[in-house]
This record gives sequence, C-alpha cells and structure tokens, in this order.
Amino acid sequence: MKVEAQEPVVEFHDLTVSYHKKPVLWNIDMTLPKGALIGIIGPNGAGKSTLIKSAMGLLPLASGYVRIFDEALDDVRHRVSYVPQRESVDWDFPTSVLDVVLMGRYAKLGLLTRPRKADKEMALNCLRKVGMEAYVDRQISQLSGGQQQRVFLARALAQEADLYFMDEPFAGVDAATEAAILSIMQEMTAQGKTVIVVHHDLQSAAEFFDWIVLLNMRLVASGPIDKVFTNEMLQETYGGKLTVLAEVGELVRKRQIPSREKY
Amino acid sequence: METLQEFFSFSDPSIIAVTVGAVLLSASSAVVGTFTFLKKKALVGDAVAHSVLPGICLAFILSGTKNPLWLIIGAFVTGWLSLVIIDNITLKTKIKEDTAIALILSVFFGIGILLLTHIQHSGNAAQTGLDSFLFGKAAALVGKDLQVFGIVAIVLLVTVALFFKELKLIAFDASYAKALGLPVKGMDLLLTSLTVLAVVTGIQAVGVVLMAAMLITPAAAARFWTNDVRIMTVLAAIMGGVSGLSGAYVSYVAPAMPTGPWIVMIISAIALTSFFIAPKRGIISRGVQQRRLQRMIMDENLLKELYHLGEKDADIYKARSIEEIVEERFFPKDRLRSSLRRLRREGFITKENGHWRYTEAGRQKGQRVVKLHRLWELYLSKYMKIDPDHVHEDAETIEHIITPELEKRLEKMLEYPEVDPHEEKIPY
Ligand SMILES: Nc1ncnc2c1ncn2[C@@H]1O[C@H](COP(=O)(O)OP(=O)(O)OP(=O)(O)O)[C@@H](O)[C@H]1O
Ligand SMILES: [Mg+2]
Repeated sequence: MKVEAQEPVVEFHDLTVSYHKKPVLWNIDMTLPKGALIGIIGPNGAGKSTLIKSAMGLLPLASGYVRIFDEALDDVRHRVSYVPQRESVDWDFPTSVLDVVLMGRYAKLGLLTRPRKADKEMALNCLRKVGMEAYVDRQISQLSGGQQQRVFLARALAQEADLYFMDEPFAGVDAATEAAILSIMQEMTAQGKTVIVVHHDLQSAAEFFDWIVLLNMRLVASGPIDKVFTNEMLQETYGGKLTVLAEVGELVRKRQIPSREKY
Repeated sequence: METLQEFFSFSDPSIIAVTVGAVLLSASSAVVGTFTFLKKKALVGDAVAHSVLPGICLAFILSGTKNPLWLIIGAFVTGWLSLVIIDNITLKTKIKEDTAIALILSVFFGIGILLLTHIQHSGNAAQTGLDSFLFGKAAALVGKDLQVFGIVAIVLLVTVALFFKELKLIAFDASYAKALGLPVKGMDLLLTSLTVLAVVTGIQAVGVVLMAAMLITPAAAARFWTNDVRIMTVLAAIMGGVSGLSGAYVSYVAPAMPTGPWIVMIISAIALTSFFIAPKRGIISRGVQQRRLQRMIMDENLLKELYHLGEKDADIYKARSIEEIVEERFFPKDRLRSSLRRLRREGFITKENGHWRYTEAGRQKGQRVVKLHRLWELYLSKYMKIDPDHVHEDAETIEHIITPELEKRLEKMLEYPEVDPHEEKIPY
C-alpha cells in the first residue's frame, strides 16, 4: 500500500542499505509530502534509524538514492536537520546545555568562526521553546533523559531548517514534555516545514501524525494516516512471518526439542 | 636546594631554552591529547607513540644525520602508517580494534628496537643520543632541535585553538557533525596528524615508551576538576607544562638521567592527587557525598519509624525509648544513637529522661516520608501494575529522593488517595 506525495520533499528511490553486506533495508521506494508531520513506525530492528541515517547521508547506500527538495543531499544540507537517538552520545561529555544547542549553529558559522551574540540569542530562544531556559548553564551530565531529549530538539531547532529527521524524540519523556514537543512540531508543520519522526507507540501515533510510513526491513505502507493506519497494515508490519518464526522458536524452546546432532 | 635556586634563577640561557622547550612540548601534547582522551582513543595514542620509533631510526639510517626535520618526517610516516593499518584491519577483518592496536604497536616497536640496536652497533659517530628517544632527554633540546620542535609545538597549539569548536563537536557527536555537513573525515585526519606530530615532538622530552602517558594523563587529571572542555584543555596544558618543567629541572641537576620517567611521574602524581581530592568527581568528595546521603536516609528512616510507632498507639508525640524504636525496626545501635543526636541538634526531636519525642518539625518530616512511601507503593501497583507484595522494597529507596514537585504531581495523578495498596492510611 503506497501513496505518492503530491508535493514531495523527500524521495527514496529503490534504496537498499546493508551492514557488513547484509541488507537491513530492502528496496525502499517512496515520496514524502511537504508540510506534514510524518511518523515512521515499525518493530525493533525494522530499520527505522537506518532509514533516516541513510537519508542524512550517514551510511553508505548499497543501491538506490535519496533526493531531498529534488536535489542531492549535499546541496541542501543547510535546510535539513537531524535529531539522533538520545543514546547515541556520551552525556558525560564536559560541556553545557547552551554549548550543545549552539552546535546547531556550526553549519551556518562555518569553520574558524566562533558563535556570535546573535547565535547565542538564537540558541536561548530555542531552549525557551522547549521549556529548558532554566538549564542554560547546566552540565549535560546532570540532565534527565527527557531533558536530554529536549536539548537535542533545541539544537535541531537552532539550525532553522525546513526538513527535520528525528529519531525517537518521544522516547522516555513524560506526558507534559510529550505535549510540549508535539505542539512545537505542529507549529513547524503549520509553517510549511516537514517533520519526520521515528515513533514507537502505536496509540499516540494515531493522534500525532498526518502521514505514516510502516516499515519492517521493507516498506509495508506509506500514505495519509486514514488510508494506511489500518489493522491489516499494522498486522503486516508487526505480525506475519516474524510472529510465526517467534512462535516456532518458542515451541522449540518449550518442548525442548533436541538439536539435530542428537538424533 | 642550591641547584633548585640556581635553576629557577634562569641565569644560564641554556636553562631557559631547555625549560621553554620542555614546557612547550609537554603542554602541546597535553592539549592534543585532550581530544584523544575525549574521543576515548587513548590506546591509539599509545600505538602511535610506539610506532614512530622505526621511522626515526630509518630516517637516521637513510640521512645519516640527527637533523630533527628528517627525524620528524620519518616518525610521521611510520606513525601514520600504523594508524592506517589499524583502521584497515578493524574495517576489513573480524579483528577488534584493541587487538589490532596491540598487534601493530608491538610489531612496529619491535622493528624500531631492532633498527636502534643495529644503529648502535654500526659505530656511527653521530648516533650518540639517538637512544634518548627511548626515554627522553630534555637537556638535548638545544639549538636547532629546540627551534624545530618549538615551532611544531606552537603550530599544534594554534591549530587546536582554531578548530576547537569542530574538534569538540566531533568528539561529542560525530554523526551529528556529519549531518551538519562538517568535514568530519578531514577533521579526523587533522586530529590524527596532530596526534602524530604531538608524539613526534613530545618524545624529545619524554621518550617513545612513556609518550602515551604524556598525551592522556594530563587530560584525565584535568577532567576531574571541570565540566567544561575549554577549561579542561587549558588545565591539561598547565598540568602538562608543569611536568615538563620538572623534566627540564631533572635534566639540569642530573644530566645523565633520562627525563621521560620523571615527567611522567610528576604528571601521574598530579593525576593521582586529582583523583583523590578534586571536588565533586574526586573520590574523597564522592565518599563524603555518599556518607551524607547515607546519614540522610538513616535520619529519615528514624523519623518514619517514630511516626509508625505513633500511628500504632494513636499518640504521635509520645516520647519513645531506644528499645521501643529498635523493636519497631532494627537499626545498628551506634548509628541509631548518632542519628538521634543529629536529629536533636537539628531540632527535629527532643530528649526527655532518656526518651525521644517529635518536635512539630520532626513530625512533619516523618509524616512526609511515610506519605511518600505509601504514595509510591500505590503508584507502582496502580500504574505499573506491580503486585502489592512487591512494591515495598522499591518505595524504601524512592521515598528519600522524591522532590516536592514530583510529590505534587504524584498526589494529583493519584487524586489524593486515602490509603495505599496495603490499606494503610496516607497522611496529608
Ligand atoms: N552498526 C551496525 N552494524 C551492524 N548491524 C546494525 C548496525 N546498526 C543496526 N544494525 C542492524 O540493522 C537492523 C536495523 O537497525 P535499526 O537501528 O535501523 O533499527 P530500528 O528500527 O531503529 O530499531 P529500534 O526500534 O530498536 O531503534 C537491526 O537488525 C540491527 O541489528
Ligand atoms: Mg532506532
């Protein structure tokens, strides 16, 4: 089930990505619409992080390509922003909240230039947006998980991009923070920006997103939520072969069927 | 003592030269090493340090001189080569990075020693002093050598200062830096080159064998004192510089003595001291914090038990004997006594003929702990669907760390419940 976007900002063309020659994403081919809040959904290990990493040019592609704003990524990098999974960095790094958010300005600054006053103001604004203004000078090692998430979000906002890829921005945040982050995203899409979010919770996904991408190593579905977010599609994403395999494995374990050598 | 005065009066111009050189070299390796440390690449530093030896020897054999420029070039080549090979082994085979590092380090160093022995036996007159590359000799830093190595050290410092923001970002979050479009590959290459250069210059003072310590130890020591990369880098430079100074001094007092071990001993002493006495991160300070926390928990538990006793016979403010308290819940006698004394001093309880009684403030504090305990039990069983039999243990810790804000949120979320899962009343 696939719906092509009317006004595409991202195009995945026959994309295959492998780790150590073993493909983890197969032939992803889809377009994603401008100004939408897009959810990428699938089970653990489905390749969601891999998909957005390859869109950001962080992984070598086995085949296919990604085009953004109908151009090659390198020509439009300044319009694209990325929020990595929170666990991807060592939060014991000796630096402050403000410093991390300022990193979002580095691309605009270029090499050899220090952040200027205007950049600091911008960073402070972004911190305010995510409700973290009280933590400007806090060491990042002293933040809670939800606060770390918001700092990463503020850093991405500081880039002033038109397209955002976010890897599980809602992971481990409380209800209030979730609502705050969601309203920031909705504000951004209202301004015509596109926000692509890896998400885990099916229940809230139904409320959050305009457009859904269902992924499980291959593209199961991509389209407006009312068309794609059906029981049948979810079954195909989460169930199918995988559950059968898991069930068989469980049976083997329970019955303690001896391994073949023992016959 | 006399020599100390003599040395620090810097009356002899050669003392100044050697001192400036040793300080500069040590400080610049410390600064570059800060990023090696932050990227958790300490082992790589060690590999480079050992791998420059064959380069130095080869350069000497081929050029026949001890001209520092040749030696730097030779060292640079083999230092680099070792890194390239390590990268390729890790990338293309199943061998893990640490194994690859150990492998390359020993092979390169072995070849280096072999060449060095060969040179020593060849009877070349110019070879005297080449073996000071093994353990370092700050006193050898004179004339042209000093100029060349001094310039390299300054180049290192300036380069790090110029690219500080990029180096910091890449050490913290390389994939984000890449997503921003920063030249991450180029910067990695730069840092590697800086590391090799730092090693090449540093070995004049410290020697090949101990050079890795000179890269990493100042950064590790500085990390204890600060949470800011900038301050950390400056501190590392200062600590490195101080140990370099000590090396120069040793060289002056005992010209036959290798300086490397001395420099490394000083920097290690600095690191060890930092490990113990640094505020917050130091081990003593952590111990103090730990003790403070233990005391707080003990005090709160004691106040809680007074409340439990009060609940039982519906007389909260009744004076209690130590035996009564211990019967309600076992506490080691000595800790119980010191806790009682502390609580009395702080005004939470009073003592009347050997019995202990709540003050108003004590009652409030005790009641709050009881409330938090029961609220948390309820929260666990209601929201996390944990069996009521299993919630007590968890609440025993959580009751001491819930903040007033969290307390309010819990109360609201649970709608000011009357009783906990064990039907015990939640006091407000
Ligand atoms: N660096 C890596 N090297 C080898 N295999 C990897 C690597 N990163 C991911 N994989 C594999 O690729 C597959 C997809 O991983 P990916 O991280 O994209 O999944 P995900 O959908 O983001 O999962 P999660 O929900 O757990 O975050 C998994 O099977 C994983 O084991
Ligand atoms: Mg993931």
